Amino acid sequence: MAADDTELLARLLAGEQKAFKELVTAYQSAMRAVAYAIVGQRHVEEVVQDAWLSVVRHLGGFEGRSSLKTWLLTITANSARNRYKLNRREVLLDDLPSPHGTIDDDRFSASDGHWLIAPFAWHQDTPEALLTESELRNCLEHTLLSLSELQRSVLLLRERQGLELEEICNLLQISLSNVRVLLHRARLKVFATVEHFEETGEC
Amino acid sequence: MLTCKEQVARSSDYLDGQLSFRETLMVRHHLLFCPSCRRFMRQMRLMQATLKAMPEQPEENIDALAERLADERRNNSP
Repeated sequence: MAADDTELLARLLAGEQKAFKELVTAYQSAMRAVAYAIVGQRHVEEVVQDAWLSVVRHLGGFEGRSSLKTWLLTITANSARNRYKLNRREVLLDDLPSPHGTIDDDRFSASDGHWLIAPFAWHQDTPEALLTESELRNCLEHTLLSLSELQRSVLLLRERQGLELEEICNLLQISLSNVRVLLHRARLKVFATVEHFEETGEC
Repeated sequence: MLTCKEQVARSSDYLDGQLSFRETLMVRHHLLFCPSCRRFMRQMRLMQATLKAMPEQPEENIDALAERLADERRNNSP
């Protein structure tokens, strides 16, 4: 078990409130992203609450075979599935339209596959500089909300929560090739949004 | 040699280390000769870092939740 996990676990087992606060602060948004992927927006909070209770009840049985984070996210995924018995009928690869489109075939020459319209050079070269524009932040939020629930979850679990592709497959019970497709489409849409903003200064 | 379109289609797999050795070399080879695709990849990485750096919605009621969980734990521990 990682040293951090061991130390935190001991304090959790002792029922230390501050330790629970650290746990919630560190992992609740990742748990929410997992729940969102499986049950959708409407039931996220219930599932996360269920998961926390289950975590507390089973804390004594945590053996450190995975990281605390992976264990929490697995419990969350199970809570989501148990509660709704949702056998995902098929993975929805639906590609919903996004506010600024994507990087699609129109950007390339049909004859030789070269860029017809090369990527526009962004004015900023750090995330901090890009995010100082509050309008871009809003614009990005807007694009994220336009993605399908599954596409958005996969993107957030990968980029914000730093999960490996295999972890995402296991948690959401979808194939690696589906995760790759979902991730790529989501990224291109977000890319198109930043590009649009950098080019026009507008959302 | 890959076309730009083919390079873009492989860009996420390249960033995630999902390409075979041979395909990775093909992407690198293309990037070596194509400034537009180099810019695209640089900006894809910047987009990833930007998503990571976006401020999260502040969690509400963390203290109340932590208190409830700690109580639950103390009441349930043998």
